This record gives sequence, structure tokens and C-alpha cells, in this order.
Amino acid sequence: MASVIGGTGSFFGPWKENHAWAQGAKPIKLGLTCDASGQYGNSGQDDFRGIKMAIDEVNAKGGVLGRQVSFITADTETTPATGSRVAERFITREDCTILIGALHSGVANAITQVASKYGVIYMNTNSSAPSEAGENCSRVKFVWDGNGTHFSKASVKNAVDSVGKNWMLLTNDYVWGHTTSAATKAQVEAAGGKIIDNLFVPQNTRDFTAYLLKIQQAKPDVVATAIGGDDIKALREQVAQLKLDGKPAWINNQQDWPDVWGAPDSLFGVFGTTWYHKLQLPGVAEFVKKWQAANKNGPIPVPGNVSYNGYMSTRELLRAIEQAGSTNNVKIIKEIENLKVSATDRMQHFDAYMDPVTHQMQQTIYLARRNAKPADNTDLFEIISWTEPKSAADDAAPGKCKLTPYEQVPTVDS
Amino acid sequence: MFDLLPHLLNGLTLGLLFALIALGFMLIVGLMEQINLAHGSLFALGAYVAMQLTGPRPPLPADLAKAWLTLPLGWRYAATLVIAPVIVSLVGMLIELCMRRTYGKDPLYGLLLTFGAAMVIEELIRLVWGTRDYVLQVPSAINGGFLFGDLIWSTYRFYAAGIAAGIIGLVWLLIEKTSFGATVKAGAHDSEIVRALGINLSRLRLLVFVFGTMLAAIAGIIVAPIWGIRPHMGVDAVIPAFLVIVLGGVGSFWGAVVAGLLVGLCVGLAGAYASEWSLLSMYILLVAVVTFRARGLWGKKSVLEA
Repeated sequence: MASVIGGTGSFFGPWKENHAWAQGAKPIKLGLTCDASGQYGNSGQDDFRGIKMAIDEVNAKGGVLGRQVSFITADTETTPATGSRVAERFITREDCTILIGALHSGVANAITQVASKYGVIYMNTNSSAPSEAGENCSRVKFVWDGNGTHFSKASVKNAVDSVGKNWMLLTNDYVWGHTTSAATKAQVEAAGGKIIDNLFVPQNTRDFTAYLLKIQQAKPDVVATAIGGDDIKALREQVAQLKLDGKPAWINNQQDWPDVWGAPDSLFGVFGTTWYHKLQLPGVAEFVKKWQAANKNGPIPVPGNVSYNGYMSTRELLRAIEQAGSTNNVKIIKEIENLKVSATDRMQHFDAYMDPVTHQMQQTIYLARRNAKPADNTDLFEIISWTEPKSAADDAAPGKCKLTPYEQVPTVDS
Repeated sequence: MFDLLPHLLNGLTLGLLFALIALGFMLIVGLMEQINLAHGSLFALGAYVAMQLTGPRPPLPADLAKAWLTLPLGWRYAATLVIAPVIVSLVGMLIELCMRRTYGKDPLYGLLLTFGAAMVIEELIRLVWGTRDYVLQVPSAINGGFLFGDLIWSTYRFYAAGIAAGIIGLVWLLIEKTSFGATVKAGAHDSEIVRALGINLSRLRLLVFVFGTMLAAIAGIIVAPIWGIRPHMGVDAVIPAFLVIVLGGVGSFWGAVVAGLLVGLCVGLAGAYASEWSLLSMYILLVAVVTFRARGLWGKKSVLEA
């Protein structure tokens, strides 16, 4: 029925739009698979803000290949089944030729399966399971956030040497938690440390006291968490309540800005990020101003890592289309596989590059902790180190990732 | 044994919070035979209103706000514990007035109405306060931790459990020892007879709904510093509330209390010894109980057992 209506629509008009298409100005339509509810609802909308800003910027300059960029978005509800349904609908009924967005690795993996089936390029903006660029990699997918292994590599060895060898893991019981904890475990053991227990926390856990009591009883030197979204917010509040934020030492694999904003008092431990709005680097202040102008009266006053990843991935995608001179999927994929971005252009400390073997963006990884002397009420992080991309890279990923040959990827054109 | 003791204690405190969340839900189901799916949203609204009142920008005229903010946080918090539930009860009142047209009809109408109300309240929360998280400030006297048995314990957790136990006791007194409680129970048993005795059943239902709403709001205020304040926190509350009243037996006061404690113990112990089963454990408990006793632990005889 939908195809009948669609067909009739294109025959009987809207004539204005059809006329424009005839002149080759049909918009390039993107499907934004951003969560608006569930565990990563806040972050999904922050991701959306960054993606939209990149699209608006390009459209203001005349679009890509002389064509405007349009988009459609729907709530993927932080649920793999919904993510899969939304992706299928975007591709088959909304004619989206590229998908962008995701926080939850289970959702990202579900979208990847659909995108791979149709050959549609998928920009995984913000999900950080090492498996996304490992066993779940795909020729059509590019992963833009730092992953669990990157953050572990940047933090673990130093913590084993300086804090202690007995570690406990606190792991969200889904793909990102599992793969991130596995990466941390490998790093800890390689550095001479020992994992004394790994507590698996079901998603949507609101009360962590049982886990915290267990941690108190076991007395580890370090607790490494892989807890995300609303769960880490609840955990942080309860750790602060119990005054456990000093001993043991905590390494929280990654803190997404939307999870931190609104409850900064409970920020504790050392954690990873890919970007911070107070980095003393060229272009950062201008980017922040531009983002603020585009997001007036938003729930968060400054861009964080999630919005940054959404912006960067979309900007690079649109640049790649321009440079490929085509909207053919394989031509765009080859362009992105060769992507190199200077540190200045990325607003990071080191040059970044797309790994052509795993499709993982290799970039600067920052470690941070709570800022004891904030310059203003948004200055929540103190950046304590930055690791260059090669040192943080996941050495095991190339062995796990098997990309489909180009000739087996279904052809897609906008 | 000493290792187990903290987890038992934690389970019991958690259980009291579950019972508190379920109490208002149970009263409304018991008297009105309506499942109030907006209970969780009213719970969330309680937390938001309390946060707004205790926060740095109370919604008051400038002079009054200034005077209010000069009060110590302890006084403001104590006053908020009373004022916020009263404000939220106005929303409950509105829902009950809308629900009147559904009484005596298929219960599905009431269910759909309260589901719609839940969606409206959640969206209004997003509209007014946005999607960001908030923290409910509590006085320093009930914050922080203390050492007991070589472990650090949360002071607030014990305060919350104490308040929950106190409110459960007060509700019991109200239901069992006052003429209002007797009327409520009679209304639940046979509304026609109550009406024939000249009691205004409409007013009684309104009072019960308002009272249930106030309990939801208080639960929201008490639980907020533990779970945090965010728009969909109501969903996190309504699911355990529903589970607790089914497990305890629909309409049973002590059933809800005991079921709350059981669920708390179950989640607490599973969290400690089989962590990945902690949330699942409460559903397993429910399935185990209703398989053998469909009416729940203290419920009336169910049609499923007829």
C-alpha cells in the first residue's frame, strides 16, 4: 500500500519537488537513528544536535555536490529491535541512503545488520563497544567514538603501577559492558594486575548498594566500571552517598557529557573522553560559540563528546561525498577509508585517521577527572592526559574484523 | 554469616522503599479497582516539585523567594515534604475527575485513561524541566555515610527506610483505626451498600485517589536522592509497584508491605551473590508465587482459582 501511495505521489505531484529533482537537485536524504528515550535518550538527543549542526552548516554553504542535505529522525528507544525497525523503515520506505547515530552498542549492531543487507553506509557516531570495530565490523559502517579498549589502554597500566594490582570490574550486562570489561581485564593482566571479581549489572539497575557492599567487603585497590547512560548516573549518586569515591580508586571507562551534566557533584574517579569544550586548542572556542548559537535554550549549554562525535562524523561524511564527487556508496566508503584529519581540524592534540581495516576512527584519547577548580559552571573536567591514537589503538581488532569485499556490497546511490 | 548480614540489612531497607512506592498504588487498586498507570509519573512529579522548591530558584514572587531561601535547607526540606505532595495531589484530583466517566464500565477505559495521563505528565515534565538530570538537595544531617561493622553505610538510606516504615505505619493506622479507613474498606468491599448508607462515594473515591497520589509524590521525594531525578524515573517506579501489589495480593495492605520486603531482599541478595540475576530475580519471584497462588500472597480469591 505504501509503495502504491508513494508511486502515485511521485506521479501526481508535489510538482515543485519533482521539478527540482528533474534538475538533479534532489536532496541527499540521511536517516538519523538517534535515541530519544530509554537509557541513552539524553545522549541520543545530544548526538542529534551535533549531527544537525553539521548538516545545517553544509546546507548554508549550498549543500553537497550542489544538492541540499535533508534528514529524517525517529526514536530508536535504546532498544536493538526498535533500532533495527527504524533502520529498515528509513531505507525501504523513506529512501534514506545513509544512516547516522547510536549510543548503545546493541542498537548500533542491530542497525549495522540492516545497513549491511542493503549496502547503506552507516556512521556509528557514539557507541563504544570494542566489538563494533572488531567482530561486529562492517564494510558499510564507520565507528567514530573511542572504544572501551582505547580508554583502557590509556588508563590501566598507569593505574596498576601507581594504585594497585587488585582490581574489581563492574560491568553493564550487555555487549558494550562485556567487551569493554574484557578489554580492561586483558590490559590489567598484561600490566601485572589481577581481577578479583567481575560484577555484572543488569541494564536499568537503579540501586547499586548490593554491588557497593560487595566491593567494600572485597577491598580492591581499583574498581573499573563499564556502566553507561542512566545506570552510571545512579551509580555515581550512590557512590557519592556512601563516600566511596576516594578509596578504592575508580576508573570509569568513559563519561559521556550528557551523563555528567546535571549531576556534577557525583563525578568521581578517572574517566575517558574524546573531547572537551575547554581544551586549549585552536578552533575549540569558535566551535563552542557556533554550537551554542545553533542550540539556544537547549538542555545542555555546551557541546560535549557526544555532540562532538555526531558533528565530526557527519561533517566528514559530507566532505567525503564532495571529494568522491559521487553519492555512490562504494566510492564514499573508499573516500572515508582513506580519511586523515589534522589535529587542528579535529580540535584534538594529535592527527586522527580512519583505520581502513577495522573502520575505527583512531584519535586522541583523553583521561579526565573532576575539576576541583572550575573556571565556570560548565568546567566540570580536568584533563589529566592525552594519548596519541597509535598508542591507544586496539591491536586485537584487525584480527577480529572481516570486511566484505567491495564487489559484494549492494550498490546504493542517492 | 557476617558477610551475609549487610546484604540482608540492605535488602530490608530496599524492601521498605519498594513497599512505600507501592502503597499509594495499592490503595487505589484496592478501593477503586482501577490500576493507576500514572502512579509512576506522579512519583516523578513529586521529585521534580520538591527539587524546584528546595532548589536555588523556587517558583515564588521575588520577595517571598528571598525569604524562603534564607531558611536553612533542613527547614525547607521538611516543609517541601508536605507542600510538594499537596501540589501533586491537585494533578491526582484532576485525573480522578476525568476518570469518573469510566466507573462501572470496562476497566480498560480507566487503564487507558491513566496510561494517557502518565504520558501527558511525563511530556509536561520534559517541557517544563527539559531532559537533563537534577539532584534533590537534602540536609547534611541525613547525608553522607557512617561506619558500621567495618563497612561504610549511607545515612540517607537508613533515613529513607525509617521514613518509609513511619509512613507505612501511619497509613495502617489511618486504614485500620479511623472511620475514614473503615469507610474506605467498606467501599472496597461493597460500594452499593456504602452508597445506600448515605456516604458520598464520589467524594470517597476522590479522597482515596488524592491520598494515593500524595503517597506517590512522597515516595518520589524520598527515592529521588538515591535514583536521581530524570523524566522517565516514573517508569522505574511503576513496574516494581505493580509487581509488589500483584505479589502481595491486590488490595492487601500487609501483602504489599511483605511483598515489598521480599522483593527488596531478593534484589539485594541476588545483587550480592548472583549479580546478573538481581533484576530478574524479582520477576522470577513473582512467577513462582502466582504459579501456585494466583491471588498473590494475601489477596482475595482470584477468578483464576475459581
